[in-house]
Amino acid sequence: MRYGFVIDQDRCIGCHACTVACKEEHNVAVGVFRTWVKYIEKGEFPDVSRHFAVLRCNHCDNAPCVEICPTTALFRRPDGIVDFDNSRCIGCKSCMQACPYDALYIDPKSNTAAKCNYCAHRVETGLEPACVIVCPTQAIIPGDLDDPTSRISRTVTAQKVTARKPHKGTRPKLFYVGVDGDLLEPATLTSERAYVWSERRPDDDTYEVGASNGAAAIPGGARVVYDVAHPAPWGGKAALYLWTKSISAGALMVAAMLTTLLGVDDLTTNIVSPLAALIFTGLTSLILIADLKRPDRFYYLLTKPNFSSWLVWGCYILMAYSAAATAWLGCAIFILRVPTMLAVISAVLGIATAGYTAFLFAQAKGRELWQSSLFLWHLIVQALIAGSALLMIVGIIIGAASISYLAAMLAASIVLGFAMVLGELYLPAISEDVRRAAELITGGALSRRFWGLSTIVGVVIPLALLWIASAETGTDGAILRVIAALAALGGLAAFESIWIEAGQAVPLS
Amino acid sequence: MAQRNDDSPLSPAARNLDAPAGGLASFPPSDRWSDWEEYDPAEWPRKVGRHYTLVPTICFNCEAGCGLLAYVDRESMRIRKFEGNPLHPGSRGRNCAKGPATINQVNDPERILYPMRRAGRRGEGRWERVTWDAALDDIAGRIRRALVEDRRNEIVYHVGRPGHELVYNQRVLHAWGIDGHNSHTNVCSAGARTGYAFWHGADRPSPDHANARFILLLSSHLEAGHYFNPHAQRIIEAKARGAKVCVIDTRLSNTASKADYWLSTWPGSEAAVLLAICRLVLESGAYDREFVRRWVNWEEYLRAEHPDKAPTFESFERVLRELYAEYTPEFAARESGCDAATIVEVAREVGRAGSALATHVWRNAAAGNLGGWQVARALEFLAVLMGAIGAPGGTGVGIANKFIPAPPLMPPGPKAWNELMWPREFPLAFFEMSFLLPHFLREGRGKLAMYFTRVYNPVWTNPDGMSWVETLSDERIVERHACLTPIWSETAWFADYVLPMGHASERHDLLSQETHAARWIGFRQPVLRAAMERAGRRFNSTWEAHREAGLGEVWEEDEFWIELSWRIDPDGALGIRKYFESPYRPGEKLTVDDLYGWMFEHSVPGLPEAAAKERLTPLQYMRKYGAFLVEDSVYNTHEKPLNDIEILESEVEEESGIVSRQGAALGVRIDDRYHVGFPTASRKLEFYSSTLKEWGWPEYSVPCYIRSHVHRSNIDRGRGEMLLLPTFRLPTLVHTRSGNAKWLTEISHSNPLWLHPEDARRLGVATGNLLRVTTEIGYFVDKVWVTESIRPGVIACSHHLGRWRLRADTGGERWSSALVDLNQVGPGQWRMRQRQGVEPFRSGDPDSERVWWHDAGVHQNLTFPVQPDPVSGQHCWHQKVTVARPGADDRYGDIFVDTNKSREIYRRWMAMTRPAPGPGGLRRPLWLARAYRPAPEAFYIR
Repeated sequence: MRYGFVIDQDRCIGCHACTVACKEEHNVAVGVFRTWVKYIEKGEFPDVSRHFAVLRCNHCDNAPCVEICPTTALFRRPDGIVDFDNSRCIGCKSCMQACPYDALYIDPKSNTAAKCNYCAHRVETGLEPACVIVCPTQAIIPGDLDDPTSRISRTVTAQKVTARKPHKGTRPKLFYVGVDGDLLEPATLTSERAYVWSERRPDDDTYEVGASNGAAAIPGGARVVYDVAHPAPWGGKAALYLWTKSISAGALMVAAMLTTLLGVDDLTTNIVSPLAALIFTGLTSLILIADLKRPDRFYYLLTKPNFSSWLVWGCYILMAYSAAATAWLGCAIFILRVPTMLAVISAVLGIATAGYTAFLFAQAKGRELWQSSLFLWHLIVQALIAGSALLMIVGIIIGAASISYLAAMLAASIVLGFAMVLGELYLPAISEDVRRAAELITGGALSRRFWGLSTIVGVVIPLALLWIASAETGTDGAILRVIAALAALGGLAAFESIWIEAGQAVPLS
Repeated sequence: MAQRNDDSPLSPAARNLDAPAGGLASFPPSDRWSDWEEYDPAEWPRKVGRHYTLVPTICFNCEAGCGLLAYVDRESMRIRKFEGNPLHPGSRGRNCAKGPATINQVNDPERILYPMRRAGRRGEGRWERVTWDAALDDIAGRIRRALVEDRRNEIVYHVGRPGHELVYNQRVLHAWGIDGHNSHTNVCSAGARTGYAFWHGADRPSPDHANARFILLLSSHLEAGHYFNPHAQRIIEAKARGAKVCVIDTRLSNTASKADYWLSTWPGSEAAVLLAICRLVLESGAYDREFVRRWVNWEEYLRAEHPDKAPTFESFERVLRELYAEYTPEFAARESGCDAATIVEVAREVGRAGSALATHVWRNAAAGNLGGWQVARALEFLAVLMGAIGAPGGTGVGIANKFIPAPPLMPPGPKAWNELMWPREFPLAFFEMSFLLPHFLREGRGKLAMYFTRVYNPVWTNPDGMSWVETLSDERIVERHACLTPIWSETAWFADYVLPMGHASERHDLLSQETHAARWIGFRQPVLRAAMERAGRRFNSTWEAHREAGLGEVWEEDEFWIELSWRIDPDGALGIRKYFESPYRPGEKLTVDDLYGWMFEHSVPGLPEAAAKERLTPLQYMRKYGAFLVEDSVYNTHEKPLNDIEILESEVEEESGIVSRQGAALGVRIDDRYHVGFPTASRKLEFYSSTLKEWGWPEYSVPCYIRSHVHRSNIDRGRGEMLLLPTFRLPTLVHTRSGNAKWLTEISHSNPLWLHPEDARRLGVATGNLLRVTTEIGYFVDKVWVTESIRPGVIACSHHLGRWRLRADTGGERWSSALVDLNQVGPGQWRMRQRQGVEPFRSGDPDSERVWWHDAGVHQNLTFPVQPDPVSGQHCWHQKVTVARPGADDRYGDIFVDTNKSREIYRRWMAMTRPAPGPGGLRRPLWLARAYRPAPEAFYIR
């Protein structure tokens, strides 16, 4: 049995009855929606038309929200309905990144994720969902897609139907009849800062992605005239998390390279590195927890784990990495040396700590920018930048001997990192969404931060200072190197926040 | 049989609520409505069952009267939700957004639960709680004095959405012997009603959309209006079956966007377009000759206007073609701005549809323009030509699809005529000249001893609201004002009493609407009372049940009128009390169970039998199911033959064929057969109206095109003039009644000015910029929405939004109103400025702190002068305005009004009237329908 929906936009009159009936059935709070109606207009007077689409959860057979949910709060029922249990949700919002359809929101009453659940509680008593029965024109057809005699199956077989973003591989079970194609291509639509009969929330789609220079120039191009807000789920804390995690991961990766490859054995590698790894892993964990809408439930990651979620694996990796750092510190203190095997293991765990995020972000199926194949390598290089920068600063302060190695590593990783950035932004984009997001960074609303902070402060200045410092000795060189390292760290932080914002800037619905 | 998964729509209503094999059902089976268990979605996926008793009632947001099914928790006796009532023949279980939003209105933390009395000056905003007893005694005493002193015209009941949709409030006012009903209709549908009434006596069409081949709408019934949900269902069914739809509407409505043809006419030119289509149909011979020959009063027309011509149908056809020769598609295109080829194509579609032509105009052009009533007349002309009147898939006559159960003991019409509502200047006005009341009162035409407003907000809704404020503030001309309302409104602020009445689920009413080719009744009932009574409790009155349910002291009107009438005439000496005594228990006070029980037993054919089958009394049946289908598939009622006895006892006028008995027309003879015909003077469809001719409008005696007051030639765009189209609805709102529904307000809360890009360029503005719109009496400042969906030269602004309140914490719905300062800056000069828009607020509903919108819209109606059409009496809403960039001091929402100018414009429009008396010293033609019809002798000016 596979419950699905057909929404017949030829019948739909855009009346919002489904929206309100759903709100009533589930007592959905003001400001969020399980189902909503989007309006667009096309053409020029008098050849102008308005089109509607009812948007909601697609009850995907291969639901990315279920895969990414770290606590199995989201699950696919045997009858095909993608349901959720808000008592298991920790409010990590990763499902909102995974869903390519903007179907999920955080319920302000419980601070947990919610979405259309096909009125599973009604289905269990043999009743159709609330939106179905209210619809004046019977435009919403529910039913079993596995039953060839059901009306929905007959409709899907006999009529031309469209699904949203089939290329995402989510196998959606919501099919549209007669929908205007532009409604399903949100990134190609233009919009204003207001709608035809409502305000637009200031936190909704903060950036005009592509609109300002793309379709808006075409007279009569498709434009959004009514929609509901979908504010970006992740903000500064997510960027900060990426940053502290880079420092943490880099600390032992760099130290391991210094000890195993270059034979460095000093306070920096022995004590500072594991301490930095521990402190910044701890900070990373705290930020992660603070970013949860339900921080009180953070331990559900361990008690209710979903092993398909990279959030869970990330949690284990961070714990393992912390253990390695503790062992490193213990060895340094108690046996006064770090065994090579431990260094290698720590380095591998450091790479895992840095890199697992690429797998997590890859599970964020909605965000195409984050699907970059360079992202994994870029994260590792970011860790090297952060690790070498931090160790160099501390090393200089405590007078360590390995500064020149660290400076060289910092310079090399900055160059490598920048090459990856350029690759991510300028290599032919795998999709229109990626192109728009990249354009936002390189030439759009984020470009000043990108070129000014991330590139000049984070790349040009550190490289220049490191080059100057390489010829200097003594205090001046040390100061220049500290400034270079700080600039590199600052630039990295800027890049993380740009990456987080740009990834979420392309509208999903 | 499965009621869903079956491709055919439910018709007429679900008789069987079973799920299809292996599938899901739409509704719980009705035999389990008294105890239905459902899982609590808030607890889901834990399966926590809740038990509900399902009580049917009727939505109270628009006039469609759609069925609702209230889920009342059996344990807490609270309403969990409202779904549709699958047994309701009109709405068939489905609702628009406003149906489920009823729960917001019921749970609104801002609603009024106790009666209030003004404590300070009127309009000052100081209130104190008062007992119902004190309020009723005071009001009853004033009414009694007015009746005893024969000041009966000083009692006026002014209503928006009546609730008592049929004759039940007429019963009250006529029992008091007053002509005291005042409605909102002349700011609404009077224009269309007039146009229809001059054709067939009845004032509404009943399009049979479901079976139509071509649907021609001057309305937006896929998103609004009466009857939005019932009509939308059937229009879409027809479309799915292959019917084509044409929408004539200046702006691109949602309805227009679903149409096959959209004609964006210059406002006011619609009759020209329709008559051009009529001409094409006449020229091509595609019209239904036989229908026109039999049913149109062409003989009367030829006799009166063309006595020289042969009295044959062929000669009428020739005259017709000559008469409408000037309405070429090119002429219509010039007037309307629409493409002539499209007009011709639409005419072809009309021709192909034959009699399956469903048409409708209700407000739209008929409510916007001087002469708008001729738009309805021109549209109906087309339906008549095609033989669509009463045909399957055609355009029925409203009364054929309505059923009005007779109440016990109906009082006769009063021997009074209230000129405050029915002034001599407007003998043909289809309803009361309600929106002129302030001007009449201030001119010294009378005063009001007792004025009721009910679900009506004239200060906000009517044009020239500041004249209402000035009048309602004057305690000498409005001595007492009681506002019967569940919520605060701009008008309630200027009342002496604010008396809380129930929402949809808190009152009794009987409804019957012409939603399709059938007759049905729907029963609105207070669901908490009904649920508690199912559980074995008994209440004498609804307010006692409400008190027990924690609903404060919310009354229902039926009981209010009964109680008030008893206090007006406690000993029965005035002859009033007898109408409010139980038909079952002589001398005892009437209860709602008595009233509706009696009607269901005596006045609804088939209902007692249907109830008996289920071993229920008729009242129990209606309380259980909420609706009853009296007759299905009602067509061609005018063809109904007179029976032999009727014919034998009657006289037949030889020339006209009119059959009458004791002076009352019964029917008409056509080709030697006797039919009931239409309720017109001729009993036929009146192409030619001798009434219009006799009452001073010979130039309008046949359907024609009247140039609107906002005709293109009156608007000089070079001088910044534009046409403001200020009347359009949004799918989620209904006037000032939905501001308390948070889920609706969250979707729609802005009414920007729709402006075509060409005009935006000329004015140098973009979306979000401000414009000042200046009318003849003031101006308002609103923001711009640049859109291709409006005709260049026209600006459009939805009429729902712009609610305001004068106090931060009371006097208006904080979900939807702006806090404003209202200052008189000179004699008659008023300035309003928004202090703040909508803000989150603390209340019993946590959602009130989640309010994220700030816009409450801009109140444009304040700046409109009254513009009464001299024939229909309809307020002509469209405004000629000057549009300019705002001044340095202008802010969003600013309003300025000069009521001195209002009076000037009022006098200018009054000068266009052609007052009574008409033939025989009449105030109004006797045949022409009139709401709350007085006794015949009142029709004569003494």
